[in-house]
Amino acid sequence: MTHLPESAAPLTEAMRAVDGSEHGISKKGLSAGSVGLIGAIVIGISCIAPAYTLTAALGPTVSEVGVQVPAIILVGFIPMLLVAFGYRELNRRMPDSGTSFTWATRAFGPWVGWLAGWGLVAATILVLSNLAGIAVDFLFLLISQIVGDPAIADLATNPFINVVVCLMFMLGATWISYRDMRTTQKLQYWLVGFQVAVLVIFSVAALIEVANGSAFDATAIELSWFNPFAVESFSAFAAGLSLSIFIFWGWDVTLTMNEETKGSEKTPGRAATITVVTIVVLYLLIAVALIAYAGVGTGEFGLGNPDIQDNVFFHLAGPILGPLAALVSLAVLTSSASSLQSTFVSPARTLLAMGHYGALPEKFAKVSPRFFTPGYATIVSAVVASVFYAVMRFLSENVLWDTITALGMMICFYYGITAFACVWFFRSVWFRSVRNVFFTLLFPLIGGVILAVLFFTTLVDSMDPDYGSGSSVFGLGLVFVLGMVVLLSGVAIMLWQWWKRPAFFRGETLSRAVADD
Amino acid sequence: MGGSRIVVGYTADDSGADALALATRLASASEALLDVVMVLPSEARNSVVPADAGYERHLKERSRTWLAEASASLGTDVAQSLHVRYAESFAEGLIAAAHEFGALLIVVGAARGGVLGRSRIGSVAGELLHSSDVPVALAPAGSREVPAAQGVSRITAAIGTRPGADALLEASVALSRATHAPLRLLSLVSIDLPAGMDEGLAELTSTVHADEVLLAARRALPAAVETAAEVAEGPTIEDAVRGLDWHDGEIVLVGSSRLATPHHLFLGSTAAKMLRELPVPMIVVPRTAAPVATT
Repeated sequence: MTHLPESAAPLTEAMRAVDGSEHGISKKGLSAGSVGLIGAIVIGISCIAPAYTLTAALGPTVSEVGVQVPAIILVGFIPMLLVAFGYRELNRRMPDSGTSFTWATRAFGPWVGWLAGWGLVAATILVLSNLAGIAVDFLFLLISQIVGDPAIADLATNPFINVVVCLMFMLGATWISYRDMRTTQKLQYWLVGFQVAVLVIFSVAALIEVANGSAFDATAIELSWFNPFAVESFSAFAAGLSLSIFIFWGWDVTLTMNEETKGSEKTPGRAATITVVTIVVLYLLIAVALIAYAGVGTGEFGLGNPDIQDNVFFHLAGPILGPLAALVSLAVLTSSASSLQSTFVSPARTLLAMGHYGALPEKFAKVSPRFFTPGYATIVSAVVASVFYAVMRFLSENVLWDTITALGMMICFYYGITAFACVWFFRSVWFRSVRNVFFTLLFPLIGGVILAVLFFTTLVDSMDPDYGSGSSVFGLGLVFVLGMVVLLSGVAIMLWQWWKRPAFFRGETLSRAVADD
Repeated sequence: MGGSRIVVGYTADDSGADALALATRLASASEALLDVVMVLPSEARNSVVPADAGYERHLKERSRTWLAEASASLGTDVAQSLHVRYAESFAEGLIAAAHEFGALLIVVGAARGGVLGRSRIGSVAGELLHSSDVPVALAPAGSREVPAAQGVSRITAAIGTRPGADALLEASVALSRATHAPLRLLSLVSIDLPAGMDEGLAELTSTVHADEVLLAARRALPAAVETAAEVAEGPTIEDAVRGLDWHDGEIVLVGSSRLATPHHLFLGSTAAKMLRELPVPMIVVPRTAAPVATT
């Protein structure tokens, strides 16, 4: 971060004495050495966690757009890419651990900035609880597959057992994140390779079953699956899109790792491209294979069956792979476990930045002196995610489904603000070059507008009690209530912080700025 | 060690404060330059969490503030320089820094969850002891309470009976000269022989043998060095250590284990037992020619 707290001011003389030589530190002041092409791709895939995202998002997406899931996957990538370009520009100009929070504050002032930070934290906390929830399901499934007793898999539906195991997962992930424990690169390569291989085997096996005529509800593959205009209504299209935003979420890290990747200047772009091509191909393969195998009907294994929609791999792995189904469980389990760690990082770092700039209590800015992690912020994120999961598990049977939909909405919210922040921050340099026209104006603006439209459409549509999984509170859709509770509690906490810590809201700790070259 | 350098591995917690206090005491007693090093985790081989330039900058700023605060607490009496380094592990970063500066000693806090104020080796010190080719000083918990003015009042070299004593003796003599402190040679003997003990242990427990070792060691020393020799006995090594008198400003040197590869440290079982009982800091010296011996 560029600004030091005032308390450090008297020490500046001594601080100048620290390592003037910058020995062993690259010119950007980052750690020496860097991530290679393969390393960047592996981190990218591991952050997206395709096995986890698809099992969580495929069902809800089918329920919105039916067989047009492949089309939605292709279209959903566009706003993600456009916003990621803006994200990269901002990250290059103002690298800061607060990302969206800091950038939005710079561009639009403290109030919008605070809410953007809140959106990011809320979205990542929602996904943390969802990740842990999926991991619990698959843990029980894996045990039952190994032991050969289907009753064990059903234990996951008992809310008490489920919540207790989930909290244990959270505790483990918090421990790992707090201590910054790292798997070796080799192990990570194997885990990611395993995840991709299992997903390919899973899809191919489903297609073979279709060819053999032994599929559950064989559905002929048609080109119209790839046609986004074949989706029935705009609101279904919007809901599908906001879900597909979720499945690409995390991909942007491969773009912003650019400063650290080694090799030629082309490495980061190449890593991001290879990552996204791998992911899109994988997603399309699985979506097509599973729809062809199970159809979108509401039968036992139909993707339209609300009972299986919040975790489709969980229900389909057995019928498709038979004895090999345990592989899918293992892939999803490892995928969510490693994603849990990288996901923990972002709310913690944003909370740390908010504490640092005085938008939250100073405690949030604490860095563990031993592990160099944002210790306090990590623990707070874990506690909030755990409480949230426990409450939701008892409130709604379709907790996973509804959190995913609400999550898509929150991502649209803070990504949208980030995209607009990019456009506004660079307003004086838009026309300095052709490159600027595209990367600081057109791309982020279009991306931001798409996300804004998705956000408001989802918000309005989700008021309908039948929206999403069909859970409702006070006659309003649970997704809407969830989104509103999250946003309004953000506003309430913001007002409280404004009263407690006015300096940030007066722009004294982090001032508005505009790019000038 | 006049004009020489001491690397202290600093963390902004109690363990780091222990290390800093001991290093300061050693540096001021031997007029050495203190290199205060903070080692930050390198993101280069991090395979799960994407590197984030903003957070790395924040960490670096934070570490500089920590170092500046530590430096301010030291005052101006000790010549010091402050460094932030990146490495895959704390130990690796410290060893690299020691090589870079040509340092004669690395100081770290030994305690991580030590019991009753006595040292038990934490993971960082443990890793360092397994891989360093530079002598390592372990500051027991509570070292931060000892003022630098305490100085170094005596050097004790715990001589074993195996190869490795040469480097240890040379290091002890060098430290004794640099700090103007008298040298005490010590041989630990546990006389309570457990049943079924092995030949090697029997050899070690022979008091007569211990006397011979001490005699040989004294003969090998330059005549100008002021030395005392002592054989400590007890049913166990722990008892033997407890039975000795210790100065407040004492520093103990031990050689690294025979299991260690040449030039690298490894704490043997006797040294580990000593460490549990010692009320004073301990320096572990690699078993063959170490940088200390070259001065």
